[in-house]
Amino acid sequence: MTITSAPVTGEATKTWSGRAMPRKEDRRLVQGQGSFVDDGGMHGQGYAWFVRSPYGHARIVSIDCEPALSMEGVYTVLTGEEAKAMCEAPFFAIAPPPGSLMQEWPLAVGKVRYQGDAVALVLADSRETARDAAERVVVEYEPLPAVTDGVAAADPTAPLLYDEAGTNVVWHGVFDYGDVDWALENADHVVKLDRLHFHRFSSTPLECNGAVVDFDHGTGVVSVLSNYQMPMFAAMVIGPTIGVPINKFDFVTKDIGGAFGLKIGFFPQIAALALLSKKAGRPAKWTEFRTEHMLTAGHGNERTFVDIEVPVMADGTILGVKARAFDDAGGYLHYEPLGAVIWSQVVPGCYKLKHVRVDYTEVVSNKCPVTPNRGYSRMQHLWMIERIIDVVAHELGLDPVEVRKRNYVQPEDYPYETPNGCIYDSGDLPRSLDIALELAHVDEWRARQRELGTGSGRRIGIGIGSTLDSGTNNFGQSRIINPELPFSGNGEVAIAKLDLFGEINVNLGTTPQGQGHETTASQVAADILGVTPDDVTVSTGFNQANNAYVGFSGTYASQFAVTGLGAVMGAAQKLRHQIVKLAAFALHAEEDEIELVGGAARVRGDEERAIPFIGLANMVYTNNAGLPSELLSECDLNARYVYVPPFEVPDTVAKTGNLTLTYASQVHVCVVEVDEETGEVKILDYAAVDDCGKRINPLVVEGQVHGATGLGIAASLYESLDYDESGQLEEPSFYEYHVATSLDIPNIVCGSIESPSPFTPNGAKGMGEGGGAPLHAVCSAIQDAIGAGGPIVTDSHNHWARVYEMLHRAPGAPRNVEVISRSGGSDTDVKSL
Amino acid sequence: MLLEQVEYVRPETVGDALEILASDDGAAPLAGGQSLVNVLKNRVASVDVLVDISRLAELSSIARTADGGLSIGACVTYDALDRSPEVRASHWILGDVAGHIEDQQIRNKGTIGGNCCLSDPTNNLPPILVALGAVMELRSRSGERSVPAADFFKGYFATALEPGELLVSITVPPMPEHSGAGYASLAVGADAKALVRAAARVTLDEGGTTIAESCLVLARVAHVPVRDAEAEARLSGADATEEAVRAACAGVADGMQPIADVHGSSEYRRQMAKVMARRAVVQAIAAARGSRNGSTAGGK
Repeated sequence: MTITSAPVTGEATKTWSGRAMPRKEDRRLVQGQGSFVDDGGMHGQGYAWFVRSPYGHARIVSIDCEPALSMEGVYTVLTGEEAKAMCEAPFFAIAPPPGSLMQEWPLAVGKVRYQGDAVALVLADSRETARDAAERVVVEYEPLPAVTDGVAAADPTAPLLYDEAGTNVVWHGVFDYGDVDWALENADHVVKLDRLHFHRFSSTPLECNGAVVDFDHGTGVVSVLSNYQMPMFAAMVIGPTIGVPINKFDFVTKDIGGAFGLKIGFFPQIAALALLSKKAGRPAKWTEFRTEHMLTAGHGNERTFVDIEVPVMADGTILGVKARAFDDAGGYLHYEPLGAVIWSQVVPGCYKLKHVRVDYTEVVSNKCPVTPNRGYSRMQHLWMIERIIDVVAHELGLDPVEVRKRNYVQPEDYPYETPNGCIYDSGDLPRSLDIALELAHVDEWRARQRELGTGSGRRIGIGIGSTLDSGTNNFGQSRIINPELPFSGNGEVAIAKLDLFGEINVNLGTTPQGQGHETTASQVAADILGVTPDDVTVSTGFNQANNAYVGFSGTYASQFAVTGLGAVMGAAQKLRHQIVKLAAFALHAEEDEIELVGGAARVRGDEERAIPFIGLANMVYTNNAGLPSELLSECDLNARYVYVPPFEVPDTVAKTGNLTLTYASQVHVCVVEVDEETGEVKILDYAAVDDCGKRINPLVVEGQVHGATGLGIAASLYESLDYDESGQLEEPSFYEYHVATSLDIPNIVCGSIESPSPFTPNGAKGMGEGGGAPLHAVCSAIQDAIGAGGPIVTDSHNHWARVYEMLHRAPGAPRNVEVISRSGGSDTDVKSL
Repeated sequence: MLLEQVEYVRPETVGDALEILASDDGAAPLAGGQSLVNVLKNRVASVDVLVDISRLAELSSIARTADGGLSIGACVTYDALDRSPEVRASHWILGDVAGHIEDQQIRNKGTIGGNCCLSDPTNNLPPILVALGAVMELRSRSGERSVPAADFFKGYFATALEPGELLVSITVPPMPEHSGAGYASLAVGADAKALVRAAARVTLDEGGTTIAESCLVLARVAHVPVRDAEAEARLSGADATEEAVRAACAGVADGMQPIADVHGSSEYRRQMAKVMARRAVVQAIAAARGSRNGSTAGGK
């Protein structure tokens, strides 16, 4: 216990925000003292195991639970039909029709739509028994033809996942800004690409999903101890389905071993466990296993772009882009089709593209449902834009560095309004690129590249990935998908409290999973309250009973530094105000004479007149007789603050508006060596320059950069989730899915600049997701290694065999690119376009 | 672990282990458990009794044979192979291959016997043992027999072991003079399963300029490690140069049908088999000329 009664000498007047401090939570995490969902439990709990479909698409003919129920130790089995009968409605649909007709229940009803779809749920007295029993639930299936390609699924002749919808198309919309037809007619060159494909992968958290759920028949309270990362979203989605009001949920999270957005996707499991617990009359504990996770926990969005046309002027000015996009949501819509609008936070990428038309179609297919996955939906679009930039440079014989610099939003342009009304807050992309090129020793590698020439069997490639990490969503963008949705804005909550003995405690609505919230929240609160970060206790994880939440609470979408710390600042300032008021009363001073130093309030210039926080707490909590009632009613030492970012509801017809508050940027440069004989790609040098405005803790920022970079490199070279035609996942375990380790990830040289955001309380921008920069940079580097006239890198995943094929493709074989040039190219006055 | 119900016994002697293995069809030896336990966890196979042989001292030693070769107990771990001065002194490459299997935790537990007896075509040690001319020493209640490594691997998860028989040790003959070995793998990631690999042992003539004799083994182009006799014949008498080796390896894997999967087509693997074969032989030549016995060391 820390009682902050004595000033901490020398430390008290330091500023903690902005310092690269080691994380407070690391001590317990590296000593094996973290507390994760599987470490928890409830009295009398049983263990749950899902019975899952081996087929990608099949009708459920019958389910026989008797062989399982007759086993010793089996409490109960819940089937899909039974679960449905216990429900009041299917899960809330984000999409309007036809997407809203694609209903989902806690367990599959009538048919299964992907390999691993849950058809029943077993509860038993041990995990082992539950697993054995699940194998004895006899399910008869009638296999159906499957569709596993996003473009093919949109075809009216494709097998239908939902007969009642009459189509596999979830949502379709045209995002049309500027005048792309005019641009295509008037450009000096039009670069055309048939197809670009952004592949499926997962950020594969160390800790799989898990939950312990109790349905209390006495009180009607549903307690959910889980590692779900957006608890109140789950409550809002499953509450109406299982008939539980929000105030009868008790969501709790503890330490979470990585989430990356994926842990937004498992609310159906939580709902199913609640029903199982209700049926069995005891808590149900479920810990997901790795193969189950790979098959069912959610994959990142797979997107195919076709008929891409890019109008370019002779000097390399890119006027815009026209494309059709097909996004494959998998078998159910767990957070989709929000991805169909979220990409439009970054319509022109880092560039001043004025004329953009994207015809966007989202479909269901017989694959694992997608969930948000680090870089959610923006990464796919940014990858397409970065590919275009490189292809334009490549095909027109221009320097990719110069093409980027020519087209970047320039430092003097901020705040910059994109064609769809988003406001890029601040940045300096040309400088970021220069720093990254230097950190990756690009001049030396260019020389080495020339030196190597041909015939060595090795080629060097240099690639660039420039991206945006848009943070702090305006949830009003969901209305562009469905104008009926009751969502807009955003917000987060913090409660700062002076406890009975003067201890400082902060509760948050967030669900940290490695982002160091306990540390950065402490730094911010310490500065305001005149203590050290060690004097501030930040509760671990989310606890609904703390009442520190709004509907948006959670940890996702690169926003903590803005929303979370905005709330901490507000709450700490409110608490400070109360402390000052109490101290002024106690010390017979004016409020503006009071300063907070070292855990005490004192009169400026008269250090003897001081009262420690424990004394102030004592006045309020345990010794309040005779104090003025106005003072007590104003100063309860328990300050709750809701930070709400300034947003308007977007124009849902024009599909315009400010969709995110901040735009952190990342410019990555990657140098690769490609082995011509095998297609192996080895990274020789890697630099990542991050600009996320004011950094509260540069060490935490750098850790996030490392993580995002590792995941991106892994996805670009090692990790892909592919299905065969019948809907079988080809990489259901780590035998097939090679998760990159430290052996695969090169040394990452980090650089940074700070362009403070004018729109946030602290100048910070959310960061952490990254914009998939490594995928862009690695593809760009492979393209550079292939060289002029070679095939175009059209896939975001490039394993050795694919690189080998590109290196050895026969001359004259299709390159998937075409350039149409008008005669008499001219320089461009950008402003006139 | 979520295994199915299974009995576990830990016999005190090899004889006791053989008794149990002979008396129960459902009994299987458990050594490091790095493969078997995963197989059981995934419920791909099941056993009734796990016979834990990992602590039997007789199976855990590395000894020098009279002719200068090695006798390696079946329960010697990858890590022990990696760190053994005996192994490094005469067969550097064995330590090197073992030292690059997966990660340290797995190397602490996984054993040479387990790696061989599972006969997973992706396993690292079988091809190099075939290339080195190793002999598998098998024992059962009724006696002992020796099976050359080249005849031991029978198929995917299948070996020459008869019911009730146990691999007790592996004898590796000494490297002839002017000999070296090489090993080349193509893998998806640093510690991932190989797509294709090749192991080679080469003996040079006294002048060190010509290949006198060689053994070239390919793995993952078939269910078991296979010697490429045609390439060996072409290597025999060839110049010990990269160009000559390249020519000799040009036909490697032609006509074979390696499995195709998401990591590469059959044709890609055939092409890669030629590259890995050449690299392994070139490495072996360098090792034969160099000071290190059995390998130029370094990579996988």
